[in-house]
Amino acid sequence: MSVTGGRIALRRPAFSVAEAFGGFRLWWLVLPAFLFFLAFFLVPLVSLLAISFNKTVPGVVTLTTAFTLDNFERIFTRSIYYSSILRSIGIGIVVAAIALILGYPLAYLIAKTEHPGRNTLLMILVLSSMQLDMVIRMYGLMVLMGDTGLINSALIWAGLIHEPLPLMYNTFGVVVGLVQVTLPFMVLSLIGIIRAIHPSLEEAARSLGASRAEAFRKVVLPLSMPGILAGSLLVFALSISSYVVPALMGGWKVMVLPIHIYQQIAESGRWQFGAAVAAVLFVTSLIAVFVYHRAAVWTSGGRT
Amino acid sequence: MSDIRLVNLTKSYGEGNAVSEVNLEIGEGEFFSLLGPSGCGKSTTLRMIAGFIRPTSGQIFVGRDDITALPPERRDIGIVFQNYAIFPHMNVAENIAFGLKLRKMPKAEIARRVEAALKQVGLVGYDDRYQRQLSGGEQQRVALARVLVTEPRILLLDEPLSALDKGLREEMKFWIKDLQKKLRITTVYVTHDQDEALTMSDRIGVMSKSRIVQIGTPQDIYERPKTLFVTSFIGHSNVMDVTVARRDGDMVVVSLDGHEMSARGAADLQPGTQAKLVVRPENILMGAALGETGPRLAATVLSETYQGAIVRYRLKRGSQEIVAERQNQAHVERFAPGTEITIGWDPGWSEALTA
Ligand SMILES: Nc1ncnc2c1ncn2[C@@H]1O[C@H](COP(=O)(O)OP(=O)(O)O)[C@@H](O)[C@H]1O
Ligand SMILES: [Mg+2]
Repeated sequence: MSVTGGRIALRRPAFSVAEAFGGFRLWWLVLPAFLFFLAFFLVPLVSLLAISFNKTVPGVVTLTTAFTLDNFERIFTRSIYYSSILRSIGIGIVVAAIALILGYPLAYLIAKTEHPGRNTLLMILVLSSMQLDMVIRMYGLMVLMGDTGLINSALIWAGLIHEPLPLMYNTFGVVVGLVQVTLPFMVLSLIGIIRAIHPSLEEAARSLGASRAEAFRKVVLPLSMPGILAGSLLVFALSISSYVVPALMGGWKVMVLPIHIYQQIAESGRWQFGAAVAAVLFVTSLIAVFVYHRAAVWTSGGRT
Repeated sequence: MSDIRLVNLTKSYGEGNAVSEVNLEIGEGEFFSLLGPSGCGKSTTLRMIAGFIRPTSGQIFVGRDDITALPPERRDIGIVFQNYAIFPHMNVAENIAFGLKLRKMPKAEIARRVEAALKQVGLVGYDDRYQRQLSGGEQQRVALARVLVTEPRILLLDEPLSALDKGLREEMKFWIKDLQKKLRITTVYVTHDQDEALTMSDRIGVMSKSRIVQIGTPQDIYERPKTLFVTSFIGHSNVMDVTVARRDGDMVVVSLDGHEMSARGAADLQPGTQAKLVVRPENILMGAALGETGPRLAATVLSETYQGAIVRYRLKRGSQEIVAERQNQAHVERFAPGTEITIGWDPGWSEALTA
């Protein structure tokens, strides 16, 4: 996760048969992974991108050489589509921000807990939320947040409200669901980085005159930046590409890019147009990676 | 007037105490060392003074003020850590300016002071370097500059030399001491290295198992150890089993295998009880070097080890082995292994301690 990884000194290969054979053998070891990546990730992705430049014909999935930008033109001229791009990005940013605000104190606590038992307990707490399938976890959330769910029933029973609050099937519900799903990733990205900040740095700041808050702001926070950026990128990418959460928690009412992709391909068989939306989603993620990289360079003050 | 006063300072973790009832007064401008083996509670004591650890009981005074409950940032105490704790996301100049910026000092004044501090520690031109571009010795100088530039009332140092290699350690030892003397800043120095403590300190507090067992000047600590622990922790000693015969003014008369001899001794030594007689190797006299007073004992030379400036002898007296050292000066008498000789010591340089 660190952006400031150590330099790896590469040994110059010696010209011995044993070495050459060893290197040759190593190549064989990575070959399966490489083939898998090629066959099951790169090829489908490239074909999907390629097909997005074909004219949309419902029910047809054959790649042709007839190049057209029709699909993209449609995405960027119809508000139902381009507003979804903005909605996806907006939700991704909000979810990343909330996950950071919730996750940082938790990660800080875990990083600073030296007691091995308590530390393990906290880690189990974080990891256990990742153990169940996402669909099952969303059904759990629905039990909590639906119109007749625990929260609304309790509030109506207490006489605080008369009508159930709209907690689900809207952007709020989607954001809550996505935060629930992505929080562990944020916490895990942060723990290692925070733990690597030596306590004496904070103490040095304190004895030089910094209050607890100033020491945090001027020392701990800047040094946490690699984890904050990596965690935010991860959460953002997971959020904008999630289909299950907006489908279940948004009830198909919160139109984000993955919902369009599913509708176009699975419901209308419009593969070419769905592929174009997927391409837009993919490029959005790439831009996020680029922004992450710039931010990482910038926050490290130009030091590698 | 004392600058730092610790009153019954105690820190307990669960069942055991890390620091037990430490009472200490450190004078203004004094260089005071806490010396003791690893785990004896030195760092805990220092960190309580700095404000990072809240004492379980007891008080800390600076001047007339009770600072026990003050947070670290309001104590006006600077600390240099074993790992130097240079902020890795700031360059040298920013590190040194850290405390000054917090004090809302004008920019020009900060720049002037940073330059002066860099000059003081001999790092002119290092402004733009980052921590990873500095050697251990340079990091230590930056850490000192960063603290001293804020002109704290008290300077704390926690094993600042232990991460350096031997040559640099020797050099920094004198450099730090000189700087401290020049600035006349009250300093508490934590170390497990007796050489550092002996050469740098005005006074030393020897710690063992969470307690201070002896406080004194380096000379006191070395020449008049009060307990066997201090004797064995600082320098080498010959320790002999004796019986206390009687008191004789300031001195005490003890019996070593029937030979009666005078020694310095604590007032609480009771006649008839067992005690330990302690003599440093350099105080064992042999052959023509024997003085008028003191015991005369027969011994056999087991081995002679030439160590350049000193020559070291292993001797057998009765059933006990004794180590003697002498300066390798011109015309010094040398003894071959197997030689039967007479040894002794000046009673004023032997110490009877409670067994
Ligand atoms: N946070 C802590 N929890 C429990 N025990 C501690 C803690 N900090 C220090 N100790 C114990 O207190 C004793 C003194 O530690 P320390 O002051 O660091 O020793 P020194 O600096 O002399 O090596 C040690 O036995 C250590 O194990
Ligand atoms: Mg220590």
